[in-house]
Amino acid sequence: MVTQNKRLLAGLLLWYVLLSLWTAYAPTDRQFWLLSSILPGFLVLALIGTHRFLPLSPASYVLITLFLTLHMIGARYTYAGVPAGVWLEQAVPLGRNEYDRIVHFCFGFLLTYPIEELFRLTVPLRGWLLYYLPVMTVLGLSGLWEIIESWVARLVHPELGITYLGSQGDVWDAQKDMAAAMYGALLCTALLLWYRRRRPGLPRQIADASH
Amino acid sequence: MNRTKLLLGLLLWYGLLWIVLAIAPRDRQDWWLENLLALAAVATLIATYRRFQFSTPSYLLMTAFLSLHAIGAHYTYAEVPFGFWLQQLFGFSRNPFDRLVHFSYGLLLAYPLRELLVRLAGVKGLWAYYLPVSGMLAQSGLFEIVEAVVAQIVSPELGAAYLGTQGDEWDAQMDMIAAFAGALLCMVLVVISARAGWTNRRGRPASPDRP
Repeated sequence: MVTQNKRLLAGLLLWYVLLSLWTAYAPTDRQFWLLSSILPGFLVLALIGTHRFLPLSPASYVLITLFLTLHMIGARYTYAGVPAGVWLEQAVPLGRNEYDRIVHFCFGFLLTYPIEELFRLTVPLRGWLLYYLPVMTVLGLSGLWEIIESWVARLVHPELGITYLGSQGDVWDAQKDMAAAMYGALLCTALLLWYRRRRPGLPRQIADASH
Repeated sequence: MNRTKLLLGLLLWYGLLWIVLAIAPRDRQDWWLENLLALAAVATLIATYRRFQFSTPSYLLMTAFLSLHAIGAHYTYAEVPFGFWLQQLFGFSRNPFDRLVHFSYGLLLAYPLRELLVRLAGVKGLWAYYLPVSGMLAQSGLFEIVEAVVAQIVSPELGAAYLGTQGDEWDAQMDMIAAFAGALLCMVLVVISARAGWTNRRGRPASPDRP
């Protein structure tokens, strides 16, 4: 069981490194790639560093890797130019490349469970707060991301203003992005509640986090 | 006894202020919109008083914020006289009153939120400083989302020129930065006051004014 876990984690790490190398090879916009790779790099380092004393469940690591994969694809092509998004735009007339919106949604959908687990293992949360705080955390991080994005936009391309790559000229882009993340987090929370109702039994708590 | 008197005094103050500012607001529709949440908050505080009582400083801070908000609702945020005065004094390009209240939102309400989290959820350590900030940022983001939805329903043709943004494309981000900065400052003050021995470790006032 333990070795199986280790193999899985090593596999996920290898996947992330290979993906980073592939995206680093010929990104559409080198500067954007570099900026977008900083935070995921820190996150992965933090996960490796905390694994010994705060091991998350394999499910959490898989979800985080899935999200990082989506993000690194966005970094490779720049979000507004991801082929899957271009294809979607043509298949369904959306008027813009929706890849970034989808990844914002996935930020909430995929990372709410790891955050919930983090709370479960480090704070003795019970009841509705255990489900409320992860959603709030996702929304808070989403807001922080939009703030950072606006700073970067003004620093790197001050002349572009609102038409810079991230918002594709939409004045409500920040709000829609945050709403997408919130919907993702709410959906994940609903699924989690539904799953736990069907399979009663306490999830891992602080007391048994040590093994 | 002292505490009860003070709390009744706060309620009386807010009630009187609210009535005065309910007379001939600049824009009745906007006034209603702004006051729905405020009234719901006050009603919730009164209804839950028996089950959960905040500390006296928390009630003071919440009253201060609600008072500022009532003033903003009376004049509509973009046309508060005090804001115009600030605008002229500092040569701002816009009325900064709403930005100021966003900052106050973080500064004044992060402490009550921290108290709620610490006492109701048993949040401890670093989390007790991180979560209030994250919570205020998240609520700020949620508010921007709601504002965007309302703006698009009420006046879709106005778009970014909508009252709240005063034509600033980065308005949402600036508002969130203001709340974020306010919440951070509040947590710094909490740390300082804990070091100075004004409050104990759990964030409760050292003086036994609590029931």
